[in-house]
Amino acid sequence: MTSLEIINTYLLSVVLASLLANFVISLYAVFFKPHYIKKVIALTIFGDTANTFAIFIGYRRWVGQNPSRIPVLTYLNPEAVEEFARLAVDPLPQALVLTAIVIGLAVILFLVFLGWILYSHYKTLDMREIRRLRG
Amino acid sequence: MRVVEVVVLVVLVLTLGLLITVGFEYIMPSSVVRPLAEFYLYATYNPYKLNEYTAMSPEAVTAIVWDFRGLDTLFETSVFYLALIAGLALTRRLLSEHAEKPGYGLSLIVKTVTRITAPMIIVVGASIALHGHLTPGGGFQGGSVIAVLPMVIIVVFSASFLIMKGLTTSKMIVVRSLGLFGIGLTAITLLLVSLVQGTHAYVFQNMIKPDAQVSMPVDIAGALISGTLWFFNLFEMFAVAAGFSIAFIVLMLARTLQTEER
Repeated sequence: MTSLEIINTYLLSVVLASLLANFVISLYAVFFKPHYIKKVIALTIFGDTANTFAIFIGYRRWVGQNPSRIPVLTYLNPEAVEEFARLAVDPLPQALVLTAIVIGLAVILFLVFLGWILYSHYKTLDMREIRRLRG
Repeated sequence: MRVVEVVVLVVLVLTLGLLITVGFEYIMPSSVVRPLAEFYLYATYNPYKLNEYTAMSPEAVTAIVWDFRGLDTLFETSVFYLALIAGLALTRRLLSEHAEKPGYGLSLIVKTVTRITAPMIIVVGASIALHGHLTPGGGFQGGSVIAVLPMVIIVVFSASFLIMKGLTTSKMIVVRSLGLFGIGLTAITLLLVSLVQGTHAYVFQNMIKPDAQVSMPVDIAGALISGTLWFFNLFEMFAVAAGFSIAFIVLMLARTLQTEER
């Protein structure tokens, strides 16, 4: 293992560690922050972290001295296709993330609508207050 | 309460540690991708060796989204549709779209700049969507870019200005339904063609398959359109743009109504 590979592994581990820290912090905020909007914000952070994690899993290391490429074909001939299949990163997580982002946005929109209804009923978005006022 | 928080944090950290232990070799990227990804990369544009499985699109992500895993995307679109319908149902009583007079909005400079940039936003969004099978982008991204325009107009002019210009939620729902109808129609076009011809084909089929020899056109007059992908991107752009416009209009109108009540 050359020193370049060790540095590469180290940097990828740093990304992985920060992603996991982000997971823990955002889940903690979803559970324990009392304000509704803060819960929603924490949920968006959680979703974005999950998306970044999927992209991270699909990343491809350099093959020898050739840098990995985006999954878009730029030249249309048989040799380019062979080289593309050898070097490009995994496109499947990217496709899943693309749909997950739109679903996430729709769910966030629904939660915002829900929060608005909550506010017009209780005149507050503090979950402790709502728990007290309920019933 | 503090004890519960600490316990939850500890459990989260321990679970993630377990996840890393079990799946480290799958989580850390290596210089080989999985066989499935290798196949997708190899088949996304390959009329040379894989003529019966290729999607004829140089962009692997769009090929996966609308060809290899097209049904996923169809149901994803319906999830988006259901979330919007749920939002509209929740706000049904609170909404009335009678615009008597437009609001004041921001200053003349901002309004003029918005008038200049408005067509540009639409052009950029349409370009992203219609080149979705060639470059990064596609129907979702193009539609989201176009949906920025109603948002900007609502902030710069006012929500009632938008209503007075005729961009009501009911019209947007019509546009959205037409987009979804187009997606459904594109999905079964080849099936209908094969029914007429007396052969057989699959739902969501794009290019020829080993046992279904009908195919969408790869290009129009030399310009690559990758069969169904171009149509899917076009209709999805309309659906997404209209859907987000509905949400923005409803949210902003509701805010104005609430301020008027006080």
